[in-house]
Amino acid sequence: METLAIALLAFFAAGWFVLAGADIGTGMLTPWLGRSDPERRLVLTSFAPFFLGNEVWLVATVGVLVGCFPALEGELLSDQFPVLVALLTGWIVRDAGLWSRGRGPGPRWRAGCDAAVTCGSWTVALSWGWLLAALLTGRPYTPATGLTSVLTALAVAALFCAHGLGFATLRLTGLPYERARRLVGRAGRPWQPFALTAVLMGGLPLWAGTALPLAGRTADPATLGLLVPALLVVTPLLVTVQAWIWHTFRHRVSGPSYV
Amino acid sequence: MNQDVLDLARLQFALTAGGHFLFVALTLGLATVVAVLQTKATFGRKPLDARMVRFWGQLYVINYAVGIVTGLVMEFQFGMAWSGLTHEAGNVLGASLAVETIVAFFVESTFLGLWIFGWNRLNRWAHLAAIWIVVLTAYLSAYWILVSNGFLNHPVGYGSENGELVLDDPIAVLTNPSALLAFGHIVAGALLTAGFFMAGVSAYHLFRRSPEWEFFGRSLRIGVFLSAPALMAAAVFGGVQFAVLDSFQPMKSAVFSGKAAEIARVQAELTERFGPGDYVPSEAWTRGGALLMLISFALMMYLCFAGVILAAFKKAVFRFRLWHLVLMAAVPLPYIAMISGWVFRESGRQPWVVYGLLRTEDAVSDLSPGTMRLSLTVFTTVFVLLAVLNAWLLTRHARRGPVESGLGHDDRPAEARDTAPDPADTLPAPRY
Repeated sequence: METLAIALLAFFAAGWFVLAGADIGTGMLTPWLGRSDPERRLVLTSFAPFFLGNEVWLVATVGVLVGCFPALEGELLSDQFPVLVALLTGWIVRDAGLWSRGRGPGPRWRAGCDAAVTCGSWTVALSWGWLLAALLTGRPYTPATGLTSVLTALAVAALFCAHGLGFATLRLTGLPYERARRLVGRAGRPWQPFALTAVLMGGLPLWAGTALPLAGRTADPATLGLLVPALLVVTPLLVTVQAWIWHTFRHRVSGPSYV
Repeated sequence: MNQDVLDLARLQFALTAGGHFLFVALTLGLATVVAVLQTKATFGRKPLDARMVRFWGQLYVINYAVGIVTGLVMEFQFGMAWSGLTHEAGNVLGASLAVETIVAFFVESTFLGLWIFGWNRLNRWAHLAAIWIVVLTAYLSAYWILVSNGFLNHPVGYGSENGELVLDDPIAVLTNPSALLAFGHIVAGALLTAGFFMAGVSAYHLFRRSPEWEFFGRSLRIGVFLSAPALMAAAVFGGVQFAVLDSFQPMKSAVFSGKAAEIARVQAELTERFGPGDYVPSEAWTRGGALLMLISFALMMYLCFAGVILAAFKKAVFRFRLWHLVLMAAVPLPYIAMISGWVFRESGRQPWVVYGLLRTEDAVSDLSPGTMRLSLTVFTTVFVLLAVLNAWLLTRHARRGPVESGLGHDDRPAEARDTAPDPADTLPAPRY
């Protein structure tokens, strides 16, 4: 049971990095990929149908953490308090920008929302870097400080950007596509850079997770015995539904949508 | 434990949970209405029905979007500010939160994305199924959250092992009367909120003598005829909760009735059971919350009673402008009732976070007052801005009435509507 609980946690965490990492990376690059209002809208449309389904992977990760490792969750989250405040604020600002962009008046409102998406995406990526710095240096119970944390945060943010860029080359058309393509380069198949960054993104939380004393910190067997099988039953269904979404919106975007 | 940190953490939890709760109230109710409307539109294929789905769906999506981000803070807050809670009671509480996020919320969000962006792309039956799954998982989400909350208010089905609570009887936890009654009460309250909201928005347009009289006349009737039974159901579930309060939380009941002798008696009883301590919750918040809830209930009851009669007459629906004004002014009433009822429920159980088992002061994380103050400032600012944004966007779109753009707008280029080719075909051929 304990191993299965750890596997579930790893699965949802890696899922968030691979899936949401793509839309956060694209969000970070929005002002560069899209130089005008319609272009930026196109860039946001490239991940719009997915971001709602992507971000819940992180919610699910915390859900598994609180369900299967409740005491550890409390310690980890309260000790990393400032990092999480930054992460949540970035996340909220980003989402608010995405959702409100098409609902308010005028080009200035939309430019403001685009700025919120970009800043929010950067904040989320950098906060993750900050959090990962603490985990990777083996001190999960104190927010990382010093040069290492800055460098890790920047490196993680760069990886998010690269992942987003790969996603953009697979989803966009027109000038934003050209810009992304120019940076990715023309070596190899278009999906290859994305696959590479996806592997790196997926590996990142797994590597960082080794710093957590997961084994031995699980919930009581009575809880685990019910919770883990229940989650294992629904997880394939969740994955199927998400795969259906990716299939439905698999075509490149050439025009705007709801955002 | 630092008193400042405790107060700040409580204030932050109250503000974020309360803020989130108000968004949820409308989301849960309006989603149900939209799903029913869409069912009618899908079967009947009448353009008016389809336009109603899009208009009310747009308002629902705006409210949902802002509500969801407030929920993110909630999810993290248990661990961040209340690590004592996950430490002591995590074996019970954590599991229901985990199931909520994965079984309910995950599915809800995924299908909502499909519903919003899949308009005109999905087969119309698949699209209808998507909104119903969103609605059902939203209810499921509310249920699991109330299982957690019910456990905090009235812990059942647990055992104790090495000073930690362990899950003993899962069925008892899932059928906790404190959870089930609150669930019924809140679902009814959510439908009530949606009913008053629909009636208020429709009344605005009818008051302005909008050319969309048929659209809003019908919406107003839906709102009024939904509010009345929802109010009755909320009252029944509320009444039953009052009835069991004496045995579940005698102190809350004593403070509500305001009899000093009764409060002293329960205080002595609890001191005997749990050792010395102050077991009297804030009387102002507890009794104030309950009274405000009952007053808004009384007002809504008169309005619903009059509304059901008036809505039966076509002339009143389209021409009775004073009633239109009253309906517009009444939109906040269910919100006031919801939030004050919640204040009554949650402040009345203090000093306990898990009733009879864990005190609030023992559950707060070991944080510095500075950190707590910073996060309170950040989250309060963000939440106030979100509430303003939501109110502004809702008002803006509600006032605009049904328009062509926005949710459900067919944004595919005209020639591509029948056969949608992959736009990648038009790209310049990549050179390898």
